[in-house]
Amino acid sequence: MTLLQPVGALSFMTLAAVLFSLGLYGALSRKSTVMVLMSLELMANAININLVALSRFSAPAEMTGQIFAVFSMVVSAAEIGLGLALVLALYRQRKTVEVDAMQELKG
Amino acid sequence: MSYVIAIPLLPAIAFAVLGPLSNRARNKAVWVSVAAVASALVLSLIAFVQVWPGGHEGEAAYHASVTFASIGSVYLGVGVLLDSVSAVMLVVVTLVATAVMVYSLGYMHRDARIGWYYAVLSLFTAAMLMLVVSDNFLQLYMAWEVMGLCSYLLIGFWHEQVAPRKASLKAFLTTRVGDVGFAIGLAVMYATAGSFDFAVVLHDFQWAPATATAVALLLLFGAMGKSAQVPLHVWLPDAMAGPTPASALIHAATMVAAGVFLVARALPIFEASGIALTITMVIGVVTALLGGLLAAVQHDIKKVLAYSTISQLGYMFVALGAGGLVAGFYHLVTHAFFKSLLFLGAGVIIHAAHTQDMREMGGLAKKMPVTTVTFTIGSLALAGIFPFSGFWSKDEILTVLWHGEHYIVFALALAAAFVTAVYVARLWFRVFTGPEQTSELKEAHIEMLVPMGVLAAISAVIGFGSPYFAQFLGHEGQWPDAAIALTSTAVAGLGLALGWWVYGRRTRVINTRPLKQRFAVVYDALSLKLYFDLTYDYFIVKQFSRLAGALATFDRVVVDGIVNGAGAVWRAGAEVGSLLDIHVIDGAVNGTATIVKAAGARVRRLQVGRIQAYQGLMVGALVLLMLWFVVKGA
Repeated sequence: MTLLQPVGALSFMTLAAVLFSLGLYGALSRKSTVMVLMSLELMANAININLVALSRFSAPAEMTGQIFAVFSMVVSAAEIGLGLALVLALYRQRKTVEVDAMQELKG
Repeated sequence: MSYVIAIPLLPAIAFAVLGPLSNRARNKAVWVSVAAVASALVLSLIAFVQVWPGGHEGEAAYHASVTFASIGSVYLGVGVLLDSVSAVMLVVVTLVATAVMVYSLGYMHRDARIGWYYAVLSLFTAAMLMLVVSDNFLQLYMAWEVMGLCSYLLIGFWHEQVAPRKASLKAFLTTRVGDVGFAIGLAVMYATAGSFDFAVVLHDFQWAPATATAVALLLLFGAMGKSAQVPLHVWLPDAMAGPTPASALIHAATMVAAGVFLVARALPIFEASGIALTITMVIGVVTALLGGLLAAVQHDIKKVLAYSTISQLGYMFVALGAGGLVAGFYHLVTHAFFKSLLFLGAGVIIHAAHTQDMREMGGLAKKMPVTTVTFTIGSLALAGIFPFSGFWSKDEILTVLWHGEHYIVFALALAAAFVTAVYVARLWFRVFTGPEQTSELKEAHIEMLVPMGVLAAISAVIGFGSPYFAQFLGHEGQWPDAAIALTSTAVAGLGLALGWWVYGRRTRVINTRPLKQRFAVVYDALSLKLYFDLTYDYFIVKQFSRLAGALATFDRVVVDGIVNGAGAVWRAGAEVGSLLDIHVIDGAVNGTATIVKAAGARVRRLQVGRIQAYQGLMVGALVLLMLWFVVKGA
C-alpha cells in the first residue's frame, strides 16, 4: 500500500465530513458570534468541497459542480459581509457579541 | 216596550261599574247604585201602567227572547216576559230596593266597605229582577243562583267576625240542599216536556200526574230552601248576622219570596199533580205555625222578625197549596212592604239602643216618634189588623182555605195568626213601652226615615186595592167575606190582648221567669228552636266533621306520605347525581386541565431561549431521523 494512490471520491467526502463536523461543533459551542460565523463558513466550504468532488467524479465534462461552488462562494462572501455588519451593529447596541446574551425572543 | 230589558240591566251595570273600582273610589260612587235602582223603579212603574188594567192571565204584554247557547239541537234562550205577575213583582222589588238603598245611605255611611255593599246589593237587585222577568225556568234558575251568591256575600259582609262567617256558610249550604232538588227538577222537566219555556211547560204540554208530581215536588224542594220552609228554614234566623237593610231587602222582601214566586209560576204543574198541592199546603201550614211559635221566644229583635218571615212565607205556601194564586201572591206583595218596613225600623232601633236584645230595650216611643209610628203600622199589618195591608191578604188566604174546605188547615192558619199577634205585641211592648234602659236615644237620619215613611204609607193603604189586584191578575176580585174577616180580626185581637197582658201592663222591667217555669217543657223546646239545629248538627254537621277528619287523616298519612316519599326518593337520586357530577364529570374536566397544565410546565423547560440549545436539538433530531432512515433502509 503506497501513499501515492490516486485520490478517490471517498477521501474528498471524508474531508468534507470532517470539516462539516468541525463547523457544526463550532457553531453549537462557541460563545462569540464571530466564531459562530466562522464555523458557519467552515460548514459552507465543506459543502463546496463535496460539490466540486462529486462533480469531478460523476460528470467531469459539464463542470456543473465547480460553477455551483463558485456561486456558493460569492453568496457566502456576501453573507459573511452582512453577518459581520450585523455583529458590529449588535456590538454597538449591547457592548457584547456573546450568543447567550441574546435571549429576548424566547416565549 | 223593549225598555223592560233595561230594568234588570241597570242595576247589573251599576254592579259592573262599581265592581272593578278601588275600595276608596267605590265608597264615593254609591250614588251609581241608587241612581240605577231608582231608574229601574221609574221604568217598572211605566211598565206597570202600560200593563194596566191587565186581566189576562198567562197572556204576556211583552215578550222577547234570544238564544244564548245551543248544545247540539238543544237551544237555550234568555228572554224578557212582562205579564201582570211580573209587572207587580217588578214594582215591588224596585220599590223595596230603592227604599233600602236610600235607607242604607244613612245606615251604612260609617262602614269602610259601603261601596262593596252597594255593589253586591245592585247585583242582587239585578238578579231578582232578572228572575222576575225570565221567560223560562233555566234563566230563572240562573238568577236564583246569583241571588244565593249575593245573599251569601251580604250575610257574611262583616266577615271579620265569626258569627256572620258561619251564618253565611250555613245559609249558602242549606239553600244549596234545596237548589239541588231544583236542578234535578229542571232536568226531569226537560226530559219530560223537552223545554224550559213557560209557554211550553206551563200551557202547551200535557202533564201526566206522576211526572208532574215528581217535577212539582222537586221544584217545591228548591223553593223550600230559598223560602226557608220547614225543615230547611234553619239558615234564615242566622242570616240576621248581615247588615239590617240587606236583611230587609233579601231576607224579608225579595229573595225569600222567590221560592213563592217559583211555586206561583209553576202552579199549573202543581195543579196537574194534585198531591203536590196538598204537600205544599201541609209544609206551609207547619212552617207558619212553627215559625210563629219560635218567633215568640226569641230575644233578638231581628230573629223575631226572621222567624216571623218564615211564618209568613209559610202562609203564602198554604195559599198556593190551596190553589189560591192571587191570595198567596197578594200576601207576598203586602208582606214585602210591611216586613221590609219592620226590618228598616229594627235597624233604626238597633242603632239607637246599641243592642239587638229586646230585654235591654224599652221606652223608645217617647224619644223616637217617627220610628214608633211607622213601626206600629208595620206591626199592625203583620198582625192582620184592619185596615192595614196584612189584614187583607191574610184574610184572602183564610177565605181560600174556607172555600176550599180545608178546615183543619184553616184552624191551624188561624192559630198561626193568633201566635203572630202574640209575638207582635211582645215585640212592640218590649221595645216601645216600659222604662228606658238606654240613655241617648235619638231619632234616625232623614234618609233613613223617608223610606220607612213611604213603606209605611204603602202598607197602610195597599189593602184597599185587593179586589183590583185580583182583577189585574185575571181573576175575579171580591171584598173579604165578613164572617171570616171578623173571625180573623177577633183572633188577632185576642193575640194582641194576650201579649199586652203579659208584656204591656207593667211599667217596670218585665221578668218572665215565672211564666217560663210554668211552661218549662214548652219553653225549653222552643228556646232550643225545636231541636232542628241540634238535629242537623248531630246527624249532618257532626258526621260530616268526622268524615272530614277521617279524610284529613287519610290525606295526611297516605297522600302526603306518597308525595313526601316520592320527594325523598327524588332527592336521594339528586344527591347521587350531584356526587357523580362533582367527582366524575367535574373530575374529568378539571383533570384534563391539570394534565395540560403539568405538561405545559414540563415542556416549558425546553424553551430556554438559547439559540445554540435549539440548534443542538435540531441536529439531534436530524441525526435521529437519519439513523431511522439508515436502519429502516430507505
